[in-house]
Amino acid sequence: MSDNIKIITSHWDKIDPLRIEDYVEVGGYEALKKFLDYMTPKEAVAEIKTAKLAGRGGAGFPTGEKLEMVASKRGRRYFICNLDESEPGTYKDRMIVDKSPHLLLEGVVISSLAIGAEEAYIYINGNYKKQLEILETAIASAKQYNFLGQHILHSEHNLEIKLFSGAGAYICGEETALINSIEGNRGEPKVRPPYPPQQGLFGKPTVINNAETISSIPWIILNGGKKYSQIGSSCSPGTKLYILSGSIENGGIFEAPTGLSIKDLIYNIGGGMQKGKDFWFAQIGGACGRLALEGELKTNLDFSRNCECPLGSGSILVVDKSVNIHDLLVSWAGFFARESCGKCVPCREGTFRLYEIMKRLRDGEISDRDKIAAKDILWTLENTTFCPFGKFAATAIRDSSEKLKVF
Amino acid sequence: MQSTEKILLEFDPESNELLPALKKISASFGYVNKKDARKIASYFSIPRSKVFETASFYDLVSVRPSAGLTMQVCSSTNCVVSGAFAVIKEIESFFNIKVGDKNNPNVSLEEVSCLGRCGEGPIVVINGQVHTNVTASSIHGILEKYLKN
Repeated sequence: MSDNIKIITSHWDKIDPLRIEDYVEVGGYEALKKFLDYMTPKEAVAEIKTAKLAGRGGAGFPTGEKLEMVASKRGRRYFICNLDESEPGTYKDRMIVDKSPHLLLEGVVISSLAIGAEEAYIYINGNYKKQLEILETAIASAKQYNFLGQHILHSEHNLEIKLFSGAGAYICGEETALINSIEGNRGEPKVRPPYPPQQGLFGKPTVINNAETISSIPWIILNGGKKYSQIGSSCSPGTKLYILSGSIENGGIFEAPTGLSIKDLIYNIGGGMQKGKDFWFAQIGGACGRLALEGELKTNLDFSRNCECPLGSGSILVVDKSVNIHDLLVSWAGFFARESCGKCVPCREGTFRLYEIMKRLRDGEISDRDKIAAKDILWTLENTTFCPFGKFAATAIRDSSEKLKVF
Repeated sequence: MQSTEKILLEFDPESNELLPALKKISASFGYVNKKDARKIASYFSIPRSKVFETASFYDLVSVRPSAGLTMQVCSSTNCVVSGAFAVIKEIESFFNIKVGDKNNPNVSLEEVSCLGRCGEGPIVVINGQVHTNVTASSIHGILEKYLKN
């Protein structure tokens, strides 16, 4: 098993992220050269398909299939890098930009050229001001080296990358809401279908990939999809950035293969619990993630549909018994009430009422009627909302009710 | 002195430049007022309602004047686990205000969603300045610095 393989973090802290010379020296942009010299766009997409690369934003959609759908289209196409990271507890994409911005750019260039897009957007979280500057610098130096712009490395490919800074809305990480936001509208999700590969930005076929997914692509092009598909779990292979936080000895970001168990992550990578703290539960994948109790720690995490605890964004929050669960419930409910876009009633009203009930629970004023109402609201959020946001809002609160029995 | 007209000229009158323009104007003048909205609408050839429709959606675009001292505390999962609510309570009692009250012209305190600095929580943003690892006891010193200025 190639346990120590590093795909995204291999150059972190070893090179100056702002100097393109450093990145080129350690083999940067070699994948782009290989793609331009030896591969057709079709072959590159096929390679990514062989790799079985799954979207790292949380949904785990096969990236190769998405690229293929748009590559086969004609006319103007767009590629969008989704860097609107706003899931609580998740800051992996910010770190990718901080530590290795050119790896991300190389991935964006290869993906865009592979689908025949001449214009790409990087949609970056509006709060990431420093990262926006880093990317501006990186794009300027990539242009000087002709990795971007007209006739990239004397080929017939052209590409322009535009940076689009978001304006503080969680929902804009959802791809159709993100498109709405670039188009100057409210960041509300659109009806799907049509999906973005059919009708995306400005009505044109569009691929939207997470920054971490994109950063894996140069490695796949250089080393082959077959090799990638042998790392980690068989259904969604590769490596993943895990963000460990909470009452854990060594918090931070770690790259490791997919398919690890929660126990491996907490005790082998994270160094176990902090001294004097008792494990209570772990939340997997941010505020919208499921709660895993002691008995579920052996669950292996990946992106497959039948995974008990989907890996999601890869964040693991470890909660010990001294944490006030009522505060956490108010935090979750408050977050989703604030971030609900307001487009559909079940979510707009449901998250708001749930927030009120959770506050009453914290203040010891919860009534039996509230408890029944909370169950109704959870069901409504899970089954009737316009986009998956409703399901996200309900997950942690339902688990607290059913697994932790707090109300 | 920057004027709305000057800022608008930095942008193409295309729909994908509307949000960046709104953000810039809101950041420069504190919020997007009705007069500016009229100028933005005519520049982008869209109705004024559309300007407010988009502007009112985003956290980083404001449509009402902000208070003299604005404080934002991240109340998302990780910051709460490390004690964000205790910080909020301290600020509330320090100024004798309530979180979420928008009617005080001098000070405002609001809960905000994750700012992507989860390793360094609790996070408090005061007049745009980010403070990390704030605790219920360290917040006093920070606030007093702002009151002096």
